[in-house]
Amino acid sequence: MFRGNAMTTLLSLEGVTRVYQNGVKALDGVSVSMERGELVSILGKSGSGKSTLLHILGGLDRHDSGTVAFEGTALDYRNRTEIIKHRRNRVGFIFQQFNLLPSMTAIENVEYPLIFRGVPRSDRHSRARVLLEQVGLSGRIDHYPTELSGGEQQRVAIARALVSEPLIVLADEPTGNLDSATSAGIVSLMREINRERGVSFFIATHDRDLAARADRICTIADGRMVA
Amino acid sequence: MSAMLLDHLTLAIRRLKTRKVRVLLTVLGIAIGIAAVLGTVSLGEGIRMQAVETIRASSDLTLIEATPGNLDGTSYLITPSSVEHIRSVPHVTASSAILKDSYASQHQTYLPVIGADGEEISEVLNLRVESGKMYTSGSAEAVLGADLGEYLRRYEGMQIGSPFPVMVREYDNEGRPRDREIAITPVGILSPRDDRYDSVLILDWALVAAEKPGQQGFDAVLIRTGDHLAVAKVAGDLQELGFSAGGAFEQIEAVNRFMDVVILIFAIFAGVSLVVGGLMIANTMMISVYEQTREIGISMALGAAEGDVMRMVLLECLLLGIMGGVAGIAASLAFSSVLNVVGRPLLLSRFGGEFSGLFGDSLSVITPPMLIAGLGIAIVLSLLSGIYPAYRAARLDPVEAMRS
Repeated sequence: MFRGNAMTTLLSLEGVTRVYQNGVKALDGVSVSMERGELVSILGKSGSGKSTLLHILGGLDRHDSGTVAFEGTALDYRNRTEIIKHRRNRVGFIFQQFNLLPSMTAIENVEYPLIFRGVPRSDRHSRARVLLEQVGLSGRIDHYPTELSGGEQQRVAIARALVSEPLIVLADEPTGNLDSATSAGIVSLMREINRERGVSFFIATHDRDLAARADRICTIADGRMVA
Repeated sequence: MSAMLLDHLTLAIRRLKTRKVRVLLTVLGIAIGIAAVLGTVSLGEGIRMQAVETIRASSDLTLIEATPGNLDGTSYLITPSSVEHIRSVPHVTASSAILKDSYASQHQTYLPVIGADGEEISEVLNLRVESGKMYTSGSAEAVLGADLGEYLRRYEGMQIGSPFPVMVREYDNEGRPRDREIAITPVGILSPRDDRYDSVLILDWALVAAEKPGQQGFDAVLIRTGDHLAVAKVAGDLQELGFSAGGAFEQIEAVNRFMDVVILIFAIFAGVSLVVGGLMIANTMMISVYEQTREIGISMALGAAEGDVMRMVLLECLLLGIMGGVAGIAASLAFSSVLNVVGRPLLLSRFGGEFSGLFGDSLSVITPPMLIAGLGIAIVLSLLSGIYPAYRAARLDPVEAMRS
């Protein structure tokens, strides 16, 4: 699992612009790059374009101009098959709202992304169990989201983001709904996973303290990189 | 692949479980539609079977009468060689070439006449002589159908074994009718059969032929087939040889054609309820997609392709269809039993024995193919109804969907 420390470029964005149909320019010529194994935070206020950037990186949205390249190859957003593969194989998502499926237990939520990848049930189960243990929830695997605290739900979401062994985890305000103590725990967990597994993290946040724990901070304002 | 389908199926069942009441109502909607269609068709089938049974009981289904016919502009007469040809048709077990004529008694009683070889016609018609004996070949002897024999004996003093003059009507060169008397000797009266042969006079064919000087070939060949299932096949073969084929089987075909139309009309009316059922599924699934918009968006973010999303919706539709179909089948079986157990005696007591033929054994008949068709219709209908909601779900923008 460990992808090594050799610093190679994982992703690079060049002059990425995104204009919504209502004329709002969410991203305006954003250029940023990231090495493998890095934990980068992108700091910005609400509405600064953080989420849009994450959605484009995750293949959930497309950009209007510029290039987005992963491992040196530009992503073709018109090719649906390529985008689905990108979502399935390269990225994992963590959301502010946790976005766990309420009808499923913790372990089923973690297993869920693997169903779309055709992973057999027993394999799914063992992988999900290992990850839930790593995020410290081995005793809660059969609990439903409503039976878990906010911090626990986000831990399940982190396990779910990792289950398909992505190159990068895209976290959108992962601590936005958590108190400061729990937030600190979640950030520590992401740091630990980043170090142990070599998975890159791209964390969008408005929290300066959280951002400060990253390898590198990028600041975004009004759709432009400012630092 | 199949394991993955099983995973999706399990998930679909769980999603359906989260909205039990709506699922129940939708399933009921489909079930009522299917039961309505199966119920009306079963009623039609019941009536059809009764009608066919009635014809079967009162007629000789394995008997075919081949008459001269036309094929591709050529007329085919029934000659001795074509009689041999007909005998070689598969499933023909007995046959008798016949001549038809009509004579009159001295009291002007109309006498339909059949001229045939005595042994052959006995075999093909299963004739039983009730009193007297069968006529001998080459003689002027005759046997009479039960009704005709009884009538002539009672009202015209006919006696078995005594000559009985009959009139052959001829026309002279100017077209004027002229009756000529010939003497025949009735030697036997046949057992009652409840068909048209109860009122015929059967003579040796040579005698009848002698009275029809201009006749070319025979008028018809009576054919017995092995079983009633082979009748249509034999009739088809005869038609291919250029002959016309008729018999009681035609009545059954006519009943079947008529009932096909009646059942179709019934089914179309009942089908309206199926359309309603389909709209209910579409509505349920539209609401369901709307309610699950967020989950669909999350699934897409987690790697679900458009095809996966469509499959999620269509699998739910499939399950609704199967449940509705099975419930509809159960309801139609129950409806059918109620009709047969309660409805039939009620109708009989109300309308009396006149309708006992119509309401013979069962009022409603459900066959296994009908049940399979009912389930099939439910499944196809539910999948069709799910296409649009599934398409809508698959076209959702994941980012927008997750925000809802």
